[in-house]
Amino acid sequence: MKARIVARPDVLRIVDLLRADGREVLAPFRGRGRDTYFDTVTDENRGRIELHLPNPYYPPKRYVLPPIERLLRVERKNGGYEIEPTYAEPRRAIFGIRSCDVAGIHHLDRFYLGRDYRDPYYEKRRRHLFLVNFVCTDPERDIGEECFCLCTDTGPAARGQFDLQLMDLGDEFMAVAGTPAGEALFVHPIFHRGTPAHIARRRAILEDVRRRFKTTTSWFAAAIRYVSQGGVPEKTWEQIGNRCLECGGCTYVCPACTCFTVSDRPAGPDTIERVRLWDSCALSGFTRMAGGFNPRRARHDRRNRRFFRKLAHHFIQRELAMACVGCGRCAAVCHGDIGMPSVVEMIRRAPKEAAPA
Amino acid sequence: MNAAPENVYLPQAAILDRVVAEIPEVKTFYWRFADPAAQEAFRRFRPGQFAQVSLWGAGEFPASLPPSPTEAETFFTIRQVGSVTTALHELRPGDQFAVRGPYGNGFPMEDYHGRNLVFVAGGIGLIPLRSCIVYALAHRDHYQRIQIFHGAKTPHELMYVDNLREWARTPGVECHLTVDRAADGWDGHVGVVGSLFKRPGVSVPMDNTTAFVCGPPIMFRFVIRDLLAMGFEEKNIVSTLERYMKCGVGKCGHCCIGVAYVCVDGPVFTYQQIRKLGEDI
Repeated sequence: MKARIVARPDVLRIVDLLRADGREVLAPFRGRGRDTYFDTVTDENRGRIELHLPNPYYPPKRYVLPPIERLLRVERKNGGYEIEPTYAEPRRAIFGIRSCDVAGIHHLDRFYLGRDYRDPYYEKRRRHLFLVNFVCTDPERDIGEECFCLCTDTGPAARGQFDLQLMDLGDEFMAVAGTPAGEALFVHPIFHRGTPAHIARRRAILEDVRRRFKTTTSWFAAAIRYVSQGGVPEKTWEQIGNRCLECGGCTYVCPACTCFTVSDRPAGPDTIERVRLWDSCALSGFTRMAGGFNPRRARHDRRNRRFFRKLAHHFIQRELAMACVGCGRCAAVCHGDIGMPSVVEMIRRAPKEAAPA
Repeated sequence: MNAAPENVYLPQAAILDRVVAEIPEVKTFYWRFADPAAQEAFRRFRPGQFAQVSLWGAGEFPASLPPSPTEAETFFTIRQVGSVTTALHELRPGDQFAVRGPYGNGFPMEDYHGRNLVFVAGGIGLIPLRSCIVYALAHRDHYQRIQIFHGAKTPHELMYVDNLREWARTPGVECHLTVDRAADGWDGHVGVVGSLFKRPGVSVPMDNTTAFVCGPPIMFRFVIRDLLAMGFEEKNIVSTLERYMKCGVGKCGHCCIGVAYVCVDGPVFTYQQIRKLGEDI
C-alpha cells in the first residue's frame, strides 16, 4: 500500500476532490450534545465537517442498505401487471468512516454478495461507493466508553477494505491508499511523499492509542467456544433474554446486522411498490407464521437469536468473520445492558458459575 | 442449483388457469408462467423445492411445489390462512399473479435408489410429499416398496383424493388411510396416523428404508416417536420444514433456525439434523 502526507489545512480538500469527481460525499457532523451524524456535504456545511468526534449512533450501513428501500414498482395495465425493478446506483463517498464501520461494510459485502445468490440492490449501491477511513487516534473525542474494536480485531486502524485511510499525525495527516482508485488521488499536489519519521510517528500513535481504550477486554474466543459447543447453560440464556425489552435498538444500530422484511404498499391508484425494510430478530413477530404458529417458543429463544447468530462458529466459518465489529453501539443503546460486551462476559463466566461447587 | 437470474427478487408474471377445491379452506391452483421460456426453465425443479408466490399489493409467501417435475402441469395447493393466501384464494381463472423460484434443496431422490420409501402425511402435510410420491412412481424401477400412510381429521379432509384412489390401485404401492373422526359412511380405519403402523396386515420395513414425515407439529412428534420405537434411525427419517420467509435465497434471516437457513440449507432435513436445530417443528 502506498502512503502520502497531507498538510492539516488541506485535508478537507480530499472532500472537494471527491465532490469534483461527481460524487455525493457523506461526512460526519456534530448535532446537539452527544449527537453526531453522517450527512451529505454541501458548499454550505463543508466547513462544519468534524473528523474527531464520537462515532454516530446510526452506522453508515444505510448508504448500502437503506432502512426502507424500494425493490419493485408494479403497475396494473391491460388486465396484467408491469413489473419493473427499481435500482439505485449512486456515486458516493463516505469521508471519515471509522474502522469498525469499514469492517461492517466488508461483512455486508460477504453476506449479500457471497454464497449462492447475490443481492442486486446491495451490489449496485456498493459498486461506486468510495470509502475514506479515518483512524481513531483521539482517546477523548474518537473512542467511546463502549468501543471494543481491539477485541474484534477491527481497529483502531483498518488493515484493508478502504479506498483511502487517513490518520491524524498532529500537524499532518497520513493518507494510505487501499485500492487503485484511492491511489489515483495521489496525483493531486496536496499529497506529498512522507519520510521514515512519519511512519515511526504513525506506529507510536497507534501503539499509544491501543492502551487508551476504556473497554479493553471482551473475551470473544471463550464466548464463541461456549456458544458453538452448546456450553452456555439454559439459565444464562434466560438471564440474558429476561433483560431484553424487545425494542430492536441493537439491531438497528448494528453495522453488521443483515435481516430485512418485505412489504407491498400502494403508490398510486394502479401502482404498487414492493419495499424492503430493516427487520430485527429480537422482535416477537420475526418468525411468526400465518395462522399464528411461532416456532420460537420461549422469549429468550428469539432474544438470544442475535447472539447465537453472531457468535456461533458455524456462521463465522460461513462468513469468514463474526458478525460483530466492536463498535459498541449496541452497548450504548441497550436499556437492559445486554450489549455485545456484557453478553460475552455473561457467557464467559456462566459455565464456571454453573459448575457444581 | 439453478442458474441465478440477475435479480433474485424479481418474480415473473404467472397466469391462473383453473382452481380445484380440495378440502375446506384448501384449493389447488393450476397456473403457468406468461412467458413459455420461464415455464420451461421452472419445470426443471426437484421434488421438495418451493417457490415464492406474489400477490401484488398483498405480498409474497413461500409455497411447496406439490407437482412432480415428471408431470405436465404446474400448481400450488394452498390453505387460506393469512392475508396473502386469502388474496390468492380470491383470484379467478385468467387473473395474474407472479412466481419466482424454484428454491431450496429438495429431496435427494437419487440417494433413495434401491430403498423402500414410507410416506407418512398428516392433513395438508401430503402437499409437499405429493411431489416426491409422484416422482418415485414415475421412476418405479429405482425404488423398492412404496407405502403411503395418510391421516386427516375427517374423511372430508383427506388430501388429493383422486391421487389416493389412483395410488391405491397401483400395483406395488400400499396406501393406508385413517381419520380421527369417522363420518358419512366412512368404513376405514379410525385413529391417529401412527396407529396404522400396527394394523393387522401392515408391515413397515425397517431395513433399507427411508421414512418421509410431514404434518402438523403434534402429529410430527408422535409419528417420530413411533418410528424411533420401531427401530428407525434418525438419519433415515426425512421431513420438510415450513418457516416464515421473505426472500427464499438466504438473505432476509427470517427462516434461520439453529445454524441452518431453511430456504437454502432446507427445506428438506433428516430428523437427525432437525433435532439439532433446537426449535419446534
